[in-house]
Amino acid sequence: MKYSSQSVALPYFIAAIGLFVGQIIFGLAMGLQYVVGDFLFPEIPFNVARMVHTNLLIVWLLFGFMGAAYFLIPEETETELYSPKLALLMFWVFLIAGAATILGYLLVPYSTLAEMTGNNILATMGREFLEQPLLTKIGIVIVALAFLFNISMTMLKGRKTVISIVLLLGLWGLAVFFLFSFYNPGNLVKDKFYWWWVVHLWVEGVWELIMAAMLAFVLIKVTGVDREVIEKWLYVIITLALVTGLIGTGHHYFWIGTPQYWQWWGSIFSALEPIPFFAMTVFAFNMVNRRRREHPNKAAVLWALGTGVMAFLGAGVWGFLHTLAPVNFYTHGSQITAAHGHMAFYGAYVLVVLTIISYAMPLLRGRAANSERSQVCEMWAFWLMTISMVFITLFLTAAGILQVWLQRVSDTPMPFMQVQDQIALFYWMRLWAGVVFSIGLVTYLVSFFVKGESKPLITA
Amino acid sequence: MNTCAQTLMPSLPVQAPAPAAAVRHLPGDLAIWVFIFAELLVFGVFFITYAFARSNNVELFNAEQLALDRTSGAVNTVLLLTSSFLVVRAVQFAQAGESRRAAPWLAGAFACGGGFVVVKLFEYAEKIAAGVSLSSSTFHMFYLSLTFFHFMHVILGMVILVAMWNGARNGRYGPDNMNGIETGAAYWHMVDLVWLILFPLIYVMR
Amino acid sequence: MQSSLSSPRASSHGTPRRAAIIWAILIAATMLTWTIGEGGKAGPVVTALLFAIAFGKGSLIILDYMALRRAPLMWPMLALGWMTLVCSLIGLAYWKGLAT
Repeated sequence: MKYSSQSVALPYFIAAIGLFVGQIIFGLAMGLQYVVGDFLFPEIPFNVARMVHTNLLIVWLLFGFMGAAYFLIPEETETELYSPKLALLMFWVFLIAGAATILGYLLVPYSTLAEMTGNNILATMGREFLEQPLLTKIGIVIVALAFLFNISMTMLKGRKTVISIVLLLGLWGLAVFFLFSFYNPGNLVKDKFYWWWVVHLWVEGVWELIMAAMLAFVLIKVTGVDREVIEKWLYVIITLALVTGLIGTGHHYFWIGTPQYWQWWGSIFSALEPIPFFAMTVFAFNMVNRRRREHPNKAAVLWALGTGVMAFLGAGVWGFLHTLAPVNFYTHGSQITAAHGHMAFYGAYVLVVLTIISYAMPLLRGRAANSERSQVCEMWAFWLMTISMVFITLFLTAAGILQVWLQRVSDTPMPFMQVQDQIALFYWMRLWAGVVFSIGLVTYLVSFFVKGESKPLITA
Repeated sequence: MNTCAQTLMPSLPVQAPAPAAAVRHLPGDLAIWVFIFAELLVFGVFFITYAFARSNNVELFNAEQLALDRTSGAVNTVLLLTSSFLVVRAVQFAQAGESRRAAPWLAGAFACGGGFVVVKLFEYAEKIAAGVSLSSSTFHMFYLSLTFFHFMHVILGMVILVAMWNGARNGRYGPDNMNGIETGAAYWHMVDLVWLILFPLIYVMR
Repeated sequence: MQSSLSSPRASSHGTPRRAAIIWAILIAATMLTWTIGEGGKAGPVVTALLFAIAFGKGSLIILDYMALRRAPLMWPMLALGWMTLVCSLIGLAYWKGLAT
């Protein structure tokens, strides 16, 4: 790597992968709980496993984004990181706070956790994905601000590039929108309205900027295509994302008690949200096609192309399937939602973090790319995880269609639990796909330890 | 001397410069055209949604459309068309190497945009006072949403016109440097183009 | 190489005269649309006329003002295609509305 301070990215990436493993363990647990309801009850009931699974996902992706920023900002700005020490300190703060929070979920009844952590001072707990105690949330803000300070100071003293500006915009946006997790109005409609200012404006807003910048960075490095070309694409992609995603927030305002015009606005704008993802896919393939060099890290190219395709399918296509109000009326809160959620998160954010890790990790370890054997192992991991995710999604989609039909559309609707019995077969199949996914993840871990002749750094 | 020159520099066949018409050229930045088509797509979807929503509510839409101020709409159309014309003239001056002469034409275009904004604001004030809101009816919802969405694009376009005016004033544009002014002009014409569909669709078609 | 054709006369953005004539046509067409509107005229024939006018105006903006006449063919095709598609679908929706 070109700047020694880029090395602070390493612990972030390692933590990210570690927490990813934790996330999947709890995912498997839940997969089984869907069909064997008493599994791990009462020690780890479903709702606790779910909190751990979703919170770990968010936290490991955040570690991934931070690692990515610490790696690519010095390189883009052509200057050392402002304070590597601060970065390492914040790493430990975030990791320990995160671990403590997860342990809190697991070891202590949630209401006790709330009492212990001052939820009576400002009630922020109890909402999906935002279950963290007040203290943790404050900790996240502190870590985020320190991170942003560090990165911004680096940018101020160095070269400004479109990639780094877009990344920073996304990261600042991430922090700003997180502040809405502190706002918990008593009015249920407003509660839900603003909840989405964290969730939607993250994953269908500023996170897309972060993702696009990361993808652009890796593509410049592995293809050698002109920076100007890539920058133009980046402008187009983020504009499309913002134009469609901001008012597209309305697709979460169909049924929560907001005025009816949201059904129109949300449908129209969110229907177009796949377009930036389509652009990202075309962008990735186009850049690779017109590459000027054969970079030795073939695995990274695979992850990058995979990101484009899976993000488009999971976020774009599967999102479109249930985004129009007349459809959503029937599918809201069903397994269709779960299908989309899994493939979207995996395709867009898991894959982009794994892409940058794939590119950066060898460099952090002192080589341009891993040995061929190691890369092959890594590529196996990609295919195992990706294909099994496709199957998870297909099984959940099938479950969802059947569920919606039996529970809502049919002339003789069946009650919820009866329908769950009917779709149990799909849950079993999903679990098996999840097992294959875990095998893929293990393969991924193994790839870091496969020996062989690695590709030396290009010093020219 | 001549023979020296001829030995050192092989003579090239003399070619007349290619006429401007023969070389196909996309004016402005590629990125703005991608953006323009994205915008056209969004507006297009909005227009078509309106049209189909209308087909389910023909009587309501016909009835409430009568209360719209068609004269304001027509005046606004004239203002936008005129502003586009002024922008074209400005671009022509820039192409002729007379960047500074382009500036007042861009200012004129901006003024027309400003006129559009003023007319629209009066139109909205009147409608809102009469009780039209996003929730008062489906027609009103579309009327307000679509015209406001377009209105925001006029505002953005005006900001771009200011940037172009500034560039022109500083002599930045010329036959070898048309990208900036052409890019901005393309966006402004898109704003005009969209209105050309919007006006008959919402204000007149019954 | 500096083009010897430096006057607006031969530019890819046309001549001032042409721009002015097109402006006059556009304004006249707008007057026509407004008159139709003020008359409260309804019906498929009028609607077809309205959108034929809109299409005509749009084409002038696309081809002449946006200077796409001189651009690689894909671009004017795309823009005119957009207008065709949008106007057609509006027409389809209008026709569907007549049936009810």
